[in-house]
Amino acid sequence: MDRKKLVKQLAVIALFIVLFAGLDLAIYQLFIKRVISHHTPGMQKMSVEVANYVPFTGSENVFPAKDAEKLEGDIPTIDGAAALLPVYAGFVESIYPEDSVIYKGEDYDTASAMHYTNTRGAYKDIVDGNADIIICAQPSDEQLAYAAEKGVELEMVPVGSDAFVFIVNSNNPVSDISIEQIRGIYSGQITNWSELGGNNMPIAAMRRNKNSGSETALEKLMGDLPIKPDYTALFGSPIGFSFRYYVTGMLAEGGVKILTINGISPTSETIADGSYPVAGNIYAVYRKGETNENVYKAIDFMLSPEGQKIIEDSGYIPLGQ
Amino acid sequence: MKDKTFVIILTAIMVIGIGTTAALVIHGYNLWKEISIVEMIANWGC
Repeated sequence: MDRKKLVKQLAVIALFIVLFAGLDLAIYQLFIKRVISHHTPGMQKMSVEVANYVPFTGSENVFPAKDAEKLEGDIPTIDGAAALLPVYAGFVESIYPEDSVIYKGEDYDTASAMHYTNTRGAYKDIVDGNADIIICAQPSDEQLAYAAEKGVELEMVPVGSDAFVFIVNSNNPVSDISIEQIRGIYSGQITNWSELGGNNMPIAAMRRNKNSGSETALEKLMGDLPIKPDYTALFGSPIGFSFRYYVTGMLAEGGVKILTINGISPTSETIADGSYPVAGNIYAVYRKGETNENVYKAIDFMLSPEGQKIIEDSGYIPLGQ
Repeated sequence: MKDKTFVIILTAIMVIGIGTTAALVIHGYNLWKEISIVEMIANWGC
């Protein structure tokens, strides 16, 4: 009798050990393994680490124009998207007085003329009056509604362009996709890579934060088609999206590949001539009726040959190329 | 095995198991906040 009881007790103990071990292994395999950063120095260089893009520090990631005329007087506060940090850091180093930029180790001081709050923060700040110029991709409907609610009209001046790209793991045999297939994936109508000529594996349709530049680009691409949440994402092979500059620097070592769309690769030429179908503008955004003339001077500089060279040197496509 | 010993062993396994699982989830969440979508796709898929 005691022996039977002991066996039962040991079985219960073993069952709990196996259950916890299985659960933890599943968490590791399905989640943690995917989010461990394998940043090599090459990848780190291209990641947006704010400290790598601080103007006036001699950073090799910032490409200022030499001998550009500096702004004087009321210096406009500039902010923008993470992926465009190299662009506006270059603008700032070119035409802003050095003492107008105050970087305190991890972030910019509130008194600094340059801030970095990313797309979501930047659109809020331009509407709230905490920034005077922001460098971003197009705003989301929600961001436009917030501006309208606050009675602010935004002027958007294109200063360059970049491609909206779709990426998969480099081991994925699928290399080309169509716009309709992308819409099919994100609306939940296409759920397996085999439907696109790939492996018999569920598609994990990854997305970004609401109101981020790339999520807004996806929403525009989807048009009226609702984006369906992918609840089985952990079990499939992923597809994601980003802007070309963000990805290209990571490609060599990052293990991802950019899908061609309708057979067209996003190169400087195909973005500039419009044959790559999902290119998008980079905008300098300011409030309509702005009275600080330095805002207009700064935007004129961005559109000048020197400003356009900064766009190109930073990895983006200048206007009219 | 005495009932008391069994309960103590089981409780210890539960505490260690739940603690480890919670730590893994918190660790994973912290990693997830830091990683970019590009890196995540590079880590994962076929």
